[in-house]
Amino acid sequence: MRRDTGCHRIDHALSRRGFLAGTAAGAAAMGGVLTPAQADQLQSGQKRLLQVFLQGGFSQFETFDPKPGTKYGGPFRQIETSVPGMMICELLPHMATRMHKLSIIRSINLRTNDHGKGRLFMEKGRNVGEFPYVGSVAAKYLAPPNPTLPTYLHITTRGLSDNTNAFLEAQHAQMKLPGTKAPDNLARPDKLTVEAARRRADFRAQLNERFSGGKGQSAFTETFDSSFEMAERLMSQKGLLEAEPSGKDLERYGSHPFGRRCVLARNLLQNGATVVKVTHHGYDTHAENFNFHLEQLGEFDQTFCMLLDDIEATGMLDSTLIMVYSEFGRTPKINQRYGRDHWGASVSMALGGAGIKPGVTVGATNKEGTEVSDREVDAGHLFHTYFSALGIDPTADHNVPGKSIPIGDPAKSSIKELLV
Amino acid sequence: MSNRPAPPPLPDDPIDVKQSHVVAEFQHDVALTTCRLDPQARFAFAGAEDFNVYRWSVDGGNESKTVFSGHESWVRCLDFSPDGERLYTAGYDDRIGVWDTAAAKPKPLEMIEAHKGWVRWVKVNRDGTRLVSCGNDNLIKLWSLPDGKLIQEFRGHERHPYAVLFHPDEQRLASFDLMGNIKEWDIASGKELRSFEAKFMWGFDQKFRADMGGARDMIFSEDGKTLIVAGLTNVTNAFAGVHNPMILLFNWENFEPQHKLTDASYKGMSWGVRTHPEGFLAAVGAPQGGSKGAIWFWKPGEEKPFHTVTLSHCGRGLDMTADGRRIAVAQFDGLLKIYQLTRKS
Repeated sequence: MRRDTGCHRIDHALSRRGFLAGTAAGAAAMGGVLTPAQADQLQSGQKRLLQVFLQGGFSQFETFDPKPGTKYGGPFRQIETSVPGMMICELLPHMATRMHKLSIIRSINLRTNDHGKGRLFMEKGRNVGEFPYVGSVAAKYLAPPNPTLPTYLHITTRGLSDNTNAFLEAQHAQMKLPGTKAPDNLARPDKLTVEAARRRADFRAQLNERFSGGKGQSAFTETFDSSFEMAERLMSQKGLLEAEPSGKDLERYGSHPFGRRCVLARNLLQNGATVVKVTHHGYDTHAENFNFHLEQLGEFDQTFCMLLDDIEATGMLDSTLIMVYSEFGRTPKINQRYGRDHWGASVSMALGGAGIKPGVTVGATNKEGTEVSDREVDAGHLFHTYFSALGIDPTADHNVPGKSIPIGDPAKSSIKELLV
Repeated sequence: MSNRPAPPPLPDDPIDVKQSHVVAEFQHDVALTTCRLDPQARFAFAGAEDFNVYRWSVDGGNESKTVFSGHESWVRCLDFSPDGERLYTAGYDDRIGVWDTAAAKPKPLEMIEAHKGWVRWVKVNRDGTRLVSCGNDNLIKLWSLPDGKLIQEFRGHERHPYAVLFHPDEQRLASFDLMGNIKEWDIASGKELRSFEAKFMWGFDQKFRADMGGARDMIFSEDGKTLIVAGLTNVTNAFAGVHNPMILLFNWENFEPQHKLTDASYKGMSWGVRTHPEGFLAAVGAPQGGSKGAIWFWKPGEEKPFHTVTLSHCGRGLDMTADGRRIAVAQFDGLLKIYQLTRKS
């Protein structure tokens, strides 16, 4: 247990000074290719989080923990990567050439085969209780004081409306972007003049001031206020959301929805977003697991690698933590429909970027992939690792007045071998 | 391990599928992917989820099991030279294997680097001088035999072609892809002649944003007038395998669907189909939800199968002897069964 029950403001735990020196130098070096907004970001030392969520539970066998030729290995072969000795599935040829920029964890045991529980555990780092998602926590502690965009954006065409911020301020809640179009009703109605909109905002502010004076009312006004602020930020960035990808981007990323979502994710990150989550649907492969992984990973692999390349090319890789993850993995046993079912006992994911040592493989599963055989970890350890990598002490308390709530599960700790 | 004795000699009894019974049973410890009987019906072959192909002597018991090892991935389609001397295997390792069918210690005579991506189908023509294949590079390829040289490529499928066949006139090919597209090809020119979208054998899962479809087995009627395709229809949840098995009888002359055979009491997939000399069809099916599989016997044009044999598990492949007296069925649980379609001796 490393819990610190004393006053421990998370703001004090941030260590940006050392990072600033490095990124400023990097920004200067990249001066020729950076937009002013990107250069400002790097100068500011802002760190970011990119979550690439493969919804439904991708198969560890068909991605980062291949077992070719074994009882449950499936039909795919493993291929060498840019890291000597690190093998991944042949369905990820583009990632294979970039694994020296990423690391793999093969020994995650979530102890659940349930979509909802697995997802919440992976997002919250705790398997019970109301705690904020990793995205909300990152948004709270990484976002600049006056962000130009909502701090936690999720590009997805569907998904549950979770209470992602839990007890954190409402402005750190996840905001969903419906694919690659701006949310509905984002534009100011034609009949509402700029002056009228300003007067309305002033009136709302006056009401807020009076209303928040009442006992327990400040949280409500804050929530409503943050909704307006988010909308205003999005309205100011409407062009960014609606921009059609260039022909070159579509060629590199793919013209399919996931390709377009990743172009948007890149643009958001390059224009001040703090946390961007992009979801690729379609991994819950109870039937035809191999045909579907062939199709889905065929989309994912190149697209994700283009995103990774662009983040690196703009000098943001060292300041952007990148997660590639699911809510769990898939069963070793191949069922009658050539499917794999839900499996939380031996799950894999990839991490890279800010604070993560590249080219590392953490943990192992046994020969047939039926259980973790070395360095078992769970989503609690991962949660600690994300924030350690981002320069935030996960053993510190959240900045919630009157309460002592550690950021990470105090029973867990970071995966040290992954940290720079 | 099965101790079932060797099957009795074939009787002269009339065909009566309602009295179908198992005369030989072979057990493997890994799920099977497909099965074939060689042209002389000496051997039963099966692919498995362990990269190997297995051979049993039909009258040799389980002890006759012989492994054909050489592929580095699953094999889901097998075919033979007309004389039965050569076995051709379609590997998910991008290669076509060439084997001595009856070898005591089989080794690949050749491994042809055939496609960029899975080889999904191989088929030999009637005189054994040509082989056609299709793969995940969306190509259909024509090879000369026995030298294994590439003669022609056929381009036009935009998604994975699942099966390809020679038309009995040997001038044309038929192929079927993931999206339900049936294509006719001119062998001499390599040109696409006709195309039909059998969308009822495909579905786009709106929730998961993915396509589900394709042929799982495909044959021509002896007269070449009908293309017969095993697969699925009524896709409601692709990722859970919620759809119905379907056998499509496709009129090759007017290029239109002729009959769509489905048994609504089963969910899942049809993995194999054969025509019987007496005019009916035998098809094998896979379950969704429950564990039982089925062999269906259909008369073309009738709404329901006239007989169904329940299988302990999903049937994943079907073949029939030339005289129609026996069929082989490969199952998910590793069982390969030989059924006799007559009364018990």
